[in-house]
Amino acid sequence: MVEQLVEALACQPIQRAVVACVLCGAGCSMLSVFVVLMKMPLIGVSMSHAAFAGAVLGMLLNVNPFVSGFVVCLLAAGILGPLSDRSDIAPENVLGIMFSFLMGLAFLGMGILTRTKAGALNLMWGSLLSLSGSDIRILAVITTLLALFVALFFKEIRTVLFSRRLAASSGVPEKTIYYALLLLTGAVVSANLATVGGLLIFALLVQPGATALQLTYNLKHFFLIAAAAGIGACVSGLLLSYLFDIPSGASVVLMTTVTFAAAYAASPKRRASKNRIKETIPCK
Amino acid sequence: MGGAVMELEGVTVRKTKNLLLDGISLSVSRNEFVGLIGPNGAGKTTLLNVIAGFEPFLGTLRLFGQRVTENRSRASRLRVGYVPQSFPIDPAFPILALEAVLAGLVGRLGLFRSPGRKEKEKAMSLMEMMRVDRLANRPLGQLSGGERQKVSLARAILQQPDILLMDEPTAGLDIAVQKEVLNLIDDIHRRESLTILFVTHDFTMIPSTMRRAVLLDRGAKVFDGDVEIALSGESLSRLFRYPLKTFYHEGRRFVSYG
Repeated sequence: MVEQLVEALACQPIQRAVVACVLCGAGCSMLSVFVVLMKMPLIGVSMSHAAFAGAVLGMLLNVNPFVSGFVVCLLAAGILGPLSDRSDIAPENVLGIMFSFLMGLAFLGMGILTRTKAGALNLMWGSLLSLSGSDIRILAVITTLLALFVALFFKEIRTVLFSRRLAASSGVPEKTIYYALLLLTGAVVSANLATVGGLLIFALLVQPGATALQLTYNLKHFFLIAAAAGIGACVSGLLLSYLFDIPSGASVVLMTTVTFAAAYAASPKRRASKNRIKETIPCK
Repeated sequence: MGGAVMELEGVTVRKTKNLLLDGISLSVSRNEFVGLIGPNGAGKTTLLNVIAGFEPFLGTLRLFGQRVTENRSRASRLRVGYVPQSFPIDPAFPILALEAVLAGLVGRLGLFRSPGRKEKEKAMSLMEMMRVDRLANRPLGQLSGGERQKVSLARAILQQPDILLMDEPTAGLDIAVQKEVLNLIDDIHRRESLTILFVTHDFTMIPSTMRRAVLLDRGAKVFDGDVEIALSGESLSRLFRYPLKTFYHEGRRFVSYG
């Protein structure tokens, strides 16, 4: 098995796929911290479907799917942001409507596309082994931008994650941070359509953050653990898909769930909170 | 006292067909401690949200002589602190009590500057004043409601505001902790020379340094003056449309059914 892996890692498409896995794992995991801590998983799912619908539209119109996916993501962010700020509409309802509308749009496009372009299915599941050099370059630029955003505005990000309202009241540009985040979500999701696809990427936008939530109270460690969980799941998923000849996108997603389950089982935070509950309930 | 730090003229908030605030006019001087009192749905929190810059409104709001809207500058926001009702936080959320206090300083520090030793010492001294310094390195979500509220007060004061807005800061706390928080608020008012707006509907839990009360009913101002007159049985009976009487025992005010 080790020989098989060494042999595989010598091939250029596999090397590219490993680099893509590291970038995809890191980028999506950083976003998952926001999705999990702001309790907005539907933002992740809506943005991933916006990118998916945009990419399908791009293929129909012979436009680069990354560009069209990103444009539709920006439009979705432009609608989602102000609507979720309004207090007279529940954000979950807005996101639910948006998500189902975008999914309908994407599948309508897929229905037309599959008759002409079989490769369009890759937008749903991704195809790590057929990535081009430019796919990797786009992914690298966007992941770097996201990492820089997190590093440079860490203290503002922490305040916004804690409470958007308190952040605003203490003079933090919370709207700028929030909208920059939506924009970067669109960019990361669009860039990763080629790696894990528009349907499966949602797992990477939630599970690494949920994994870190089990393990630490330190936000810096939270980002690092989420990134390690995401990269680990992507790389191990890729290698398992190669070894057992199974679809790579699906095995990556399954590995994120395995990682989360392991973190949940070993969670010191969960055990500590269980002990606290036991201490407050008097013994019979 | 001093000049007016806050002036409202005809402030109105309308949502769909509901009139939440109906032409409120109010002037608050430097170092004043004003209570906003009224039944549920009177518009107390909406008025606080307008002043904090969370709510769009019609009319005029001037802070420190400058006309402001809900979209205001960072400098203007820094001068108005806000203490919410205790809010639920996920016990697993990755923020320590000290980090939550330091969050009050993030806007003042500006971009690309992190809190240093001096800022951390200031935060710790405020936590000491609030008697939560021993909890500095505990996750915020694991603290009790009262401890979280003291952390919230320390956060708001670290921001060094000139006006402090408090939205029922003792709601949901047990009676002993309520009294402790009220004493801390009195201390803050005396030490920090702050202008305070304090929303409440609990007449037995009024900070002793509060001298002025504004009574709100259905979005309109119905009284503005001395807190003792505002909380008289006659005034409260009119406000709540129910017979109420106020009596005093050992210097404490009690309100009961009339």
